[in-house]
Amino acid sequence: MKAMIVGAGKLGSKLAEFLIAENIDVTVMDSNIKVLERLNEHLDVLTVTANGIDIRMMRELGIAEYELLVGCTENDETNTLICTLAKKLGCRQTIARIRNPEYMQQIDFIKAELGIDHIINPDLATAIAMEKYLMKSYSFYTDEFASGKVQMVDFNVGDNDEFVGRRIMDLKGLDVLLITAISREGNLIIPNGSTEILKGDIIHVIGKANEIENMSRRLGEDYKTKLIRSAMILGGGNVGYYLAQRLERNKIQVTLVEQEKKRCQELSELLDNVLIIHGDGTDIHLLEEENLSGMDAFIGVTGFDEENLLMALMAKQSGVRKSIAKISRSNYIKIIDRLKIDAAINPVYITASSILKYIRGGKVVSVSLLLGGNAEVTEIIIDKDLPCVGKKLIDLSMPKGMIIGAVVRNNDVIIPKGNTELMANDRIVVFCLSENLEGLKMFFKPKKGGLFGELWNRNKSARKPADS
Amino acid sequence: MNYGIVTRVLGSLLIVEAVLMLPSYFISLSAQGPDRIPFLVTILLTAMIGGLMTRKKSGQSSIGAKEGLAIVALGWVFASVMGALPLYLSGSTVNYVDAFFEIVSGFTTTGATILTQIEGLPEGILFWRSFTHWIGGMGILVFTLALMPALGIGGFQIFKAESPGPVAGKIAPRLRDTAKILYITYVTITLAEVLLLTLGGMSIYESFIHTFGTVGTGGFSNRNGSIGDYNSTYIHMVIAFFMVASGVNFSLYYSFFRGKPTELFKDEEFRLYIKIIAVATIAIAVDLWLVSYHNVGYSLRDAFFQVSSIITTTGYGTADFDLWPTFSKGILLILMFVGASAGSTGGGMKIIRMLVMMKLVKREVGKLYHPRAMMPVKVNNKVVSNETVARINSFLALYLLLFLFSTLLVSLEQVDLITAGSAVAATLGNIGPGLELVGPTQNYSFFSIPTKLWLSFLMLLGRLELFTIIALVAPKHWRIDV
Repeated sequence: MKAMIVGAGKLGSKLAEFLIAENIDVTVMDSNIKVLERLNEHLDVLTVTANGIDIRMMRELGIAEYELLVGCTENDETNTLICTLAKKLGCRQTIARIRNPEYMQQIDFIKAELGIDHIINPDLATAIAMEKYLMKSYSFYTDEFASGKVQMVDFNVGDNDEFVGRRIMDLKGLDVLLITAISREGNLIIPNGSTEILKGDIIHVIGKANEIENMSRRLGEDYKTKLIRSAMILGGGNVGYYLAQRLERNKIQVTLVEQEKKRCQELSELLDNVLIIHGDGTDIHLLEEENLSGMDAFIGVTGFDEENLLMALMAKQSGVRKSIAKISRSNYIKIIDRLKIDAAINPVYITASSILKYIRGGKVVSVSLLLGGNAEVTEIIIDKDLPCVGKKLIDLSMPKGMIIGAVVRNNDVIIPKGNTELMANDRIVVFCLSENLEGLKMFFKPKKGGLFGELWNRNKSARKPADS
Repeated sequence: MNYGIVTRVLGSLLIVEAVLMLPSYFISLSAQGPDRIPFLVTILLTAMIGGLMTRKKSGQSSIGAKEGLAIVALGWVFASVMGALPLYLSGSTVNYVDAFFEIVSGFTTTGATILTQIEGLPEGILFWRSFTHWIGGMGILVFTLALMPALGIGGFQIFKAESPGPVAGKIAPRLRDTAKILYITYVTITLAEVLLLTLGGMSIYESFIHTFGTVGTGGFSNRNGSIGDYNSTYIHMVIAFFMVASGVNFSLYYSFFRGKPTELFKDEEFRLYIKIIAVATIAIAVDLWLVSYHNVGYSLRDAFFQVSSIITTTGYGTADFDLWPTFSKGILLILMFVGASAGSTGGGMKIIRMLVMMKLVKREVGKLYHPRAMMPVKVNNKVVSNETVARINSFLALYLLLFLFSTLLVSLEQVDLITAGSAVAATLGNIGPGLELVGPTQNYSFFSIPTKLWLSFLMLLGRLELFTIIALVAPKHWRIDV
């Protein structure tokens, strides 16, 4: 399969990395040769210095042979135009990044009329993820699968002596939950029964929603059933706007601080029940005047990762219950776990997850990238033709970095053991390190099986658009 | 530097080399030659060392710029060190340095030889010698890349360091696929030439030997008299055509066969390449016709063959051009510096660099008249970045410096300046034969051992475009870190 990415920004280059891991041939187009040179040094992609609207160039590259084009330049209009052109030139599917809220209101019309198959809006997706997190009652970052029945939560064990210094098999009350991974000092460890939990570890737990709640009650002293009532948003960009709008709908008292006066005016016209403050968000006096310490939540969504991080830390210090930051670069991934903020949400990963889900299509219900893209959690519906149907997990000999965290069968959540059998139409939630992605495909993608089968499949998909 | 990954890649390179020696071993087996045992010993030894090296553990498998340079530079040296063993062990050369010179000359597609009597050497050895041209032509590491799937990331560093020309580019999204496409093109051209030569009455064995020499733009033959031994205009023309074809950027063939034949003729480098060949051929032919041959047909034929042989840096001869008029020799000497196209198997300074330099000169003249004019240097309607121009400048400067300095070194051998200069030009440019004492009917055997080593070094420098090797031997404070 061949894919083209136009625009080698943060999203474009991260996406290229993920697509390569999917064994897709990637061409990256950008008008800035410097960016491409950097990209070439660490990714095995074809780089083309050109403007995406250049039809002659698109033809030269044989766009008709491509199955996917992702337009993620800075400009919404350019992205739509590129996608429409590519589609007309024979590209099978196109995905455009569109950020302008005004376009988002007529998105279905745009999709239908301009031949765009999928629209991604990182700002909106980020705002939705933040909203989801804020509306949860416990305070660690989480994701949901099987429409909320299965949850994945990260817990910082801190120095809780129910966990620290114990081996996983000695932990009590874990029969209904599964520890899929441990982050320790920025590294990811796949544990087995005899792995010892150390102070300050972050454990990634999968399990039934209500069991997870029990777990968080055991762990957290700051567990409170109380929902948040008030929130302060730092930064009035698109994410800030979307988030304020959504929180407002949830009857949460929102204060939004934005530095630029003109933007403040716009926002105050767009949002009715949100308090818009014009001022420098890094000015702690201003924030205190606006009752920062009395807030239930603080969200840093300015354009600067550093500002978001530091102010979120600051807010946590002042006693805000949930403090989250938007982080767009992966620079700080290794230290974020150690900082005392509740969640760092990365728009790039959220968007990439949504594109991966779209590409894998079919039986893949949801994809969630974790830990700087080093691992992902995928929800898959098991096809009845798969070789793994009817087998016990222990007989599947899955690679070490791949764990089935939960099986949902007839609306029941099963935390699988070695002797659990897989059945057709099970929904499984699989945790998988990115280096084992190939294995994930081997186990759960319908195909004839065997080495030749794979070669055949690959050849076929190289020549003809695959239907997967 | 990540020594683990460097060792591992070099190990796989040696294993690949051991496998590539097998055909030569089979030939020596079927001929029952005296080189059977040397081949067997070398193959086993190379495979064993390679196997041990691949077992070295490395923390991570990322190849950065430093690792890429080290892999390429050391890879070529290692391959030559092992590749020289059969020649030395079978007694085909007097000492090991001679064998090393001969194999470096093979891998770098130079074709300079120290063998005085080629005919009579074991068939396996002659085959191996020519086969190194074929391997080295497209790049031994590119070949390894095509086989080693694990080298996706960072492999581009290797590719960049090994492919000839100022800017290396991929033609397929994946490096492995790019390497495959290049090798498929290469194999196709090779088979086509073998077929045409066999049709011309050459034996299959000799067709292969001369095809390797042609498409790798090397120039080893199994005959003392090179191509001149075949008194057939057909064979001369087939080889001349394929020499010219091998001096073209291989990625152009890819677009050519993908149904965009016009791309080839639109390419500025290709057009200049063809123009230079045409002008030089006509100039030499007229000179030959008036001064020595007095026959239009033969003048044209020999002029065309020799021009293609020298500009593509092959070095095959159908006539002793050392006896030609000085004007013709002068043209050939200039062509030795020009070289073939970037991304081809040929050596020299490369047409594209000449093209950029010419445009740069033109721009400077233009700027004298319009000091404030903006005039970017463009090739194929694309702007050549200032970094690339600077790199080309320093390449040319280094090339000339090396040429002058090495000429001085070689002149210590008490040879005339033309011999010294042309020997350096012919090894640095990967051509093979020079003029006077190293002319097409002569060879390099009379040089002393230090000179032979220095010339081997020049061949490697030339093949890997100077900087790869220079970076490895440069003084420590040039490298900034490490």
